[in-house]
Amino acid sequence: MDDPGIAAKLVEALDASFPDGRQDLRPVHTFGIGATGFFEASDVARDYSIAEHFQGQQIRIVARFSNGSGSGVQHDGWSDVRGLAIRFQLANGAAADLIAMTLNEFFTPTVETFLKFSPATIPIAAERESAWLKIFDMLRLMLPMDDPYPGQKTEAVTGALKFADKHSYAQLPVFQAGALGAPVSYARATYHAVHTFVVVGPDGLRRPVRFTWQPVSGVLTTDRTSPPSDKYLQQELCDRLAKGPARFILMMTIGEIGDDFDDPSRPWPPHRVRVVMGTLTLDAVPDDQVANGELLSFNPWRLVPGIEPSDDPILRARRDAYEYSRNRRKAPPGCPFSRS
Amino acid sequence: MTSAGGWFDRFVDGLPDTAVFKFLSAKVLVPFWAWRTPTPPLPGGPRPSVQPSENVQRMMNLVMPLKDTSAIGRAKATLAIAQNVDEIFAGLDNVGTVHFARFVLIGDYLCMISVYDGDFSNYIRDFIATIGSVFDQVVKLVEGGEAITPSANHIEAFIDWVHAHDLFQAPDLPTDLFTLQDAARGTARASARDGLRLLPRDLILQLHANPNVSLGGGYRGYPGFSAAQVRQKLGVGW
Repeated sequence: MDDPGIAAKLVEALDASFPDGRQDLRPVHTFGIGATGFFEASDVARDYSIAEHFQGQQIRIVARFSNGSGSGVQHDGWSDVRGLAIRFQLANGAAADLIAMTLNEFFTPTVETFLKFSPATIPIAAERESAWLKIFDMLRLMLPMDDPYPGQKTEAVTGALKFADKHSYAQLPVFQAGALGAPVSYARATYHAVHTFVVVGPDGLRRPVRFTWQPVSGVLTTDRTSPPSDKYLQQELCDRLAKGPARFILMMTIGEIGDDFDDPSRPWPPHRVRVVMGTLTLDAVPDDQVANGELLSFNPWRLVPGIEPSDDPILRARRDAYEYSRNRRKAPPGCPFSRS
Repeated sequence: MTSAGGWFDRFVDGLPDTAVFKFLSAKVLVPFWAWRTPTPPLPGGPRPSVQPSENVQRMMNLVMPLKDTSAIGRAKATLAIAQNVDEIFAGLDNVGTVHFARFVLIGDYLCMISVYDGDFSNYIRDFIATIGSVFDQVVKLVEGGEAITPSANHIEAFIDWVHAHDLFQAPDLPTDLFTLQDAARGTARASARDGLRLLPRDLILQLHANPNVSLGGGYRGYPGFSAAQVRQKLGVGW
């Protein structure tokens, strides 16, 4: 991504999707909580990548869990994408980031298509579908639209559905986003890094891969028929880690010729070779959430030798978009291009 | 839980769970839409693919309706398997591409569930060559079985028969159902022709046409590896 103007357009497109967002905060994944712990690579990880954090020694990490929304109002209990960003703190001040979310794919395959998708999902007034229309849906064997949550003033689902009906690449992510729900805990969700990376083994072999964090405690969402709570995920994580650590397994799926290496809107089939790359252990929620969460600037391009970006155009665009966003909210730099 | 509506909203929200609506759906709505939107049953078994990991650990879910569904008929099917365990095990070892295989009786059906590597037709050909006599005994107990026995004399018909009784495997990515059904209907698909909210109807119509399906391609503990690779790695031969 060589056009710096695209980064601004992307961030501004996200701003437009969340009119009640705040420019001093992240444009999406606005509300979150930092945690600390360590990562230990599996015995086989070093066979696939020479990256420092895959060699087996204990690596300190900083994590940030988040809600996907860029709204300035926190709604933990609403169905939404959740994020997990990890910074591996390596020797000599180096670092590597891995950014993942609960949706298994991105909404569009390219920057250009995202810049079309985003305006289509600008929120409109949230209205309950009338009972008569619901009956009409049922007679057509269609699921009625979800009712708004109590207090919900706007919604983007209608626009997303209309867009998906015209652009087949958006059908899967829009469908799956609608089914996400809300996790009972940040530690009880699976997080997908969605983009293809290239890992380089000690023999020089380069493999296209995608990463997923799988919770050891299992996946569990809240009961959709119960009243949603606006604020519980951060306190739940504090309470959980006060009792004991939370763990995730890092799974790495190896792509094959014929897979969409550069299309983040298309997940790979679940039958590809999967490798257990290591275990993440989260054991504390730092008191200083500003330094250990809000001021952290993750970037999917913060990589180290042994793991490289693919040609995925969205991944490439995120490099500059994250930097643009960081500059705008005046967070400390963590230059992704210096690989430090 | 979402915002509460009035009594009529609550009534409509609960409508799908009422006996009246379930009756209406089963007897009127689904048959109407099946007539309005003809949906052929999608073919069984794994779909063709040139990708390596799609050609190992393939699922077969062979569902065969028994002629005699009484306890005696089911006992005959049980005996046909039990009396040939040595032949089945030796045959499967000789086939060499099978991860596991088992027979199960479910209701009025005898089912063979297996996971194998490689091409479906060759898998069945290997079966006929190695345990065709057992299959002949089993298939004779199944509706339509006489026409394809002895299997050694009806190889292609036997393969077609097995394919027809192998469950359709629903796609791992739900929206791929649109593509499969459009292809089966012979309709072009320039864009997302079906609205996303019609996905439930497409699924319902497929289940109406195809009552038994495999839900996705299934979980694999060691995806991408053949039976031969696993056995070699474990040091247990071939």
